[in-house]
Amino acid sequence: MKWRILLGTLAIASVVGLLAFVALGERERMAGFTQSYHARQIEVGAALFENNCRTCHAPQGTGIEGLAPAINAADLFNGQRLTAIGYSGTVEDYVRGVIAAGRPIPSSGTNYPNRMPTWSQRYGGPLREDQVDSLVAYIMNWDEQAPGGAQPTAAVPSGDLAGTDISAALPQGEAESGQALAETLGCAGCHLLSTVGPAWRAEGSQRGIGDRAAERILQADYTGQAASAEQYLFESIVTTDAFVVPGFEPGIMPANYGQRLGKQDLADLIAYLLSLR
Amino acid sequence: MSLFRVHLPILDEIKAKGLKPALRDKADDVVTRVTAGLNTAEVRGVLRGDPPGRPNPRLKPHDEGFWLHMRPTYYHNLLDGLYPTFRLGWLSTFFFAFEVLTGVFLMVYYTPSPLVAYENMLNLLSNVPFGRLMRDMHKLGAELMVIVVALHMLRTFVTGSYKKPRQFTWATGVVLLGVTLVLSFSGYLLPWDQLSLWAVTIGASMVEAAPPEMVGRTLNLLVRGAPEIGANGLLRFYLLHIIGLPLVGVVALGVHYYKVIHHGHSLPPEAEEVGVDTAKRVPMERRTYFMPDILTRELFYVSALLALLIGAAAFFYHAPLEPHADTLVTPLHTTAPWYFLWVQGMLKLGDKVLWGLIIPGILSAMLLVLPYFEVGPSRRYGDRRVGLSLGAVAVIALAVLSYMGTPYYGVSTSPDQEAIATLLPQTHPGPLRLAPWEELIVGSYEASAWSSAPTGALQDLLQAFDEEVQRVESAERTGVEGIMVIEDWQAGLKKITLRVLWTETASGESGEFSQTAYLHRDSNYGQGE
Amino acid sequence: MSEAEAQAAAGAPARMPLTRREFLYYLWGASMALFMAETGGALVWFALPRFREGEFGGVFSVPVAEVPAPDSGPKEFAEGRFWLVNIGSQTTADARQPQDYPLLAGVRAIYKVCTHLGCLYRWVPVNDRFECPCHGSKFLKTGTRIDGPARRNLDTFIIEAVNAAGQVIARSEPSLGSQEGSPVPLGPEVVALRIDTGRRIQGAPNSRPGGGR
Repeated sequence: MKWRILLGTLAIASVVGLLAFVALGERERMAGFTQSYHARQIEVGAALFENNCRTCHAPQGTGIEGLAPAINAADLFNGQRLTAIGYSGTVEDYVRGVIAAGRPIPSSGTNYPNRMPTWSQRYGGPLREDQVDSLVAYIMNWDEQAPGGAQPTAAVPSGDLAGTDISAALPQGEAESGQALAETLGCAGCHLLSTVGPAWRAEGSQRGIGDRAAERILQADYTGQAASAEQYLFESIVTTDAFVVPGFEPGIMPANYGQRLGKQDLADLIAYLLSLR
Repeated sequence: MSLFRVHLPILDEIKAKGLKPALRDKADDVVTRVTAGLNTAEVRGVLRGDPPGRPNPRLKPHDEGFWLHMRPTYYHNLLDGLYPTFRLGWLSTFFFAFEVLTGVFLMVYYTPSPLVAYENMLNLLSNVPFGRLMRDMHKLGAELMVIVVALHMLRTFVTGSYKKPRQFTWATGVVLLGVTLVLSFSGYLLPWDQLSLWAVTIGASMVEAAPPEMVGRTLNLLVRGAPEIGANGLLRFYLLHIIGLPLVGVVALGVHYYKVIHHGHSLPPEAEEVGVDTAKRVPMERRTYFMPDILTRELFYVSALLALLIGAAAFFYHAPLEPHADTLVTPLHTTAPWYFLWVQGMLKLGDKVLWGLIIPGILSAMLLVLPYFEVGPSRRYGDRRVGLSLGAVAVIALAVLSYMGTPYYGVSTSPDQEAIATLLPQTHPGPLRLAPWEELIVGSYEASAWSSAPTGALQDLLQAFDEEVQRVESAERTGVEGIMVIEDWQAGLKKITLRVLWTETASGESGEFSQTAYLHRDSNYGQGE
Repeated sequence: MSEAEAQAAAGAPARMPLTRREFLYYLWGASMALFMAETGGALVWFALPRFREGEFGGVFSVPVAEVPAPDSGPKEFAEGRFWLVNIGSQTTADARQPQDYPLLAGVRAIYKVCTHLGCLYRWVPVNDRFECPCHGSKFLKTGTRIDGPARRNLDTFIIEAVNAAGQVIARSEPSLGSQEGSPVPLGPEVVALRIDTGRRIQGAPNSRPGGGR
């Protein structure tokens, strides 16, 4: 019987010691959990960014010219963009606000044809508040390595530029490379994901651009110089206002692709477009 | 000059007897009131183990006090130790009290709304001292309570203690079993993470399946407060969990324990004549009195259990916290909580109404009325071979059905998805997230070349991946390859892509399935939550 | 019969020697008492609310650029529920300041709640003082009461001045003489002020008409 008393005392004493031991480590444990949860938020944010934001802002947030600004940019994290629009909160507040409620009005000096949509469920978007917070955590994690300004696109040697002469001969194009290029250049933003520009894919009774190209040049209202489907596509990319499809506005398609793309790139793009029937 | 004299009885006593004797008598008086009948000398007698006087003063607290009014004054000495009941009924009550206590403290930091419930969990774990310990103790207590209650029922069945006159006690016990299971199930939803939401959705959908259709639909709306589990459902489950079921439980427990004491604890079957219930007539020489013997044993159990429970919760039992509940995505291999795996197993056998509702309903009803039709007079094991065998079969069937409820049985998707799910499961961290982050060297690795991977962790991962990928190989798919690509993605963040590639033998086309995960250096999945 | 009973029967007070078993029970009881006390303490720690930075009850960090200039009007910080006041040479020379509450130059963080019955007083620039709309208590910019039913000066929060490395180089302490929190001087290395709204120093007693003890 006495052994029960002894063991009971021992058990209680060990609980007393155990609780004291736990108490000593609590501050550190709580700080550790806060840190690890923040890390998990970044992971969730990375996946969300990949699924929702990459197509316009580019995989590493470097932005796509004419489509969406760079987020992985020093002028965001050092507050320059905020001062430019007179925003009085912190960078984090700004990022959260833009993701949640969108950007109905562009910052002065920019002219992105698409407006940033709303993403929070509170404003009619698809994401919960905690998902918006995860995205913010991911984006803020670029702070330390953000490069200065938008990434310059690699310069193409002048001899290889596509130029604006649509009758020039192009090398053999590869549709797969063209598709990848269309994505990194952000063409998808206007031509696949929205209706800012003519849809590339077949929709209802309208055929894909690969087929439409050949028909377009035979139409009575065609104002361009192209003599074949390939030349039409060449023209649409490098001399954008030669012919504007009825129902769309001139001056929106960026006009400098002739100086930005190499001949092979353009050939790949054209091959890709021709494959969309 | 005062108009009235203050009359302090203590001063009169001091005048009559002297200071020290008066104080001693006062202390004696207080002790007698607190213990409801035992003065100081008698208390010390209890503690010294002296035999009680005549009449036995140690019966007074049972008579005059509230806390001991239902406890028996003595036990039969065959029943005063751990065998044959293992004190499982007492243990069940202990866990109920333990859960109420830890639960009430957790309530300080919880609001039952889908907008903040998960945040409350994070706050509890990151900003409340002892928050994680309290949560882990509550979950550990819940799981153990289900086990203990089930074992108590099993023991009662094995010793035939449900037989006349104790049939109603058994029935209230079955009610208590139901209360325990639903308490555990309703609490499961409260953290509002992926695990909670989908486990409970599965269970709640059973309610919807109740025939006829109108009853099922109405019951579903009553339980969930909406067609799907959302804000209303969470609130209703919360109310059930903190007050609805505890009230039912306390009432049922009161009735159950009262009947236990009224009939007396049943003796081990071999110790009785067949058909004779001698539980209430305990000869003097076979009595073990509550004070001090049973009381000491119970205090000892409490002390030992506290040490074990707090030790387990502090060092190795941690309640998991999955990502935030997402009503649009059901994780692969989602399961019900383990005590309902048998139902999930049965559901894989066929029609959900038959296997999910009708059969469990019939089985529960049979359990409830068991003592009213199993009326054999003998409790001896030798005379109950059929019953005991059926009991053993039932236990084995439960085990088999529970296995069938796990994802290993009947729920696998295509082997390529299974291969990736082995490394990147959707219901718990899994080997990839638990691997040391620095050992995931940036690069592209083929699963078949696992032995040449640069670090031990990568070798283990790729080897496991390779084993699973081999299973994708079949008559329709050849040339199977598994690839893991690790890239540096952001400060402290790596992107890992798992790809399974194959060639269709029929068309010669290549097929691929891939999944991406992002891993941060600090995410620390190995901590248990 | 045990000796206890023999003695009880004899009418003498029980004087039983302590047996080992009894002693062990007392030891067990003491350990349980210790456990209850420890659990009580742990539960209090568990249940005490904790405030994160930026929440009222927590710490507010104010960069030096946002601190008002010396002798200018008080600056309001709504979520922190305090006014920041920078006491300069003009304020210390104010004739209305009662002699009982000597002043040093520096920054004070004054709680926005009136010390009378809890209303939020206002800054009235025309009269250069705080005035409470509920029962008319009036206080100087320094927080000292000069009129009205309040019985003490305004409460202040503890301020810590930190430099660029995050080290605390000055803080407001309850000063022995006046019992009030001392102002924090803004030295050149100060980069920010951290105002801890969880720790409040009560104002000194002040009940004389016109201000004074």
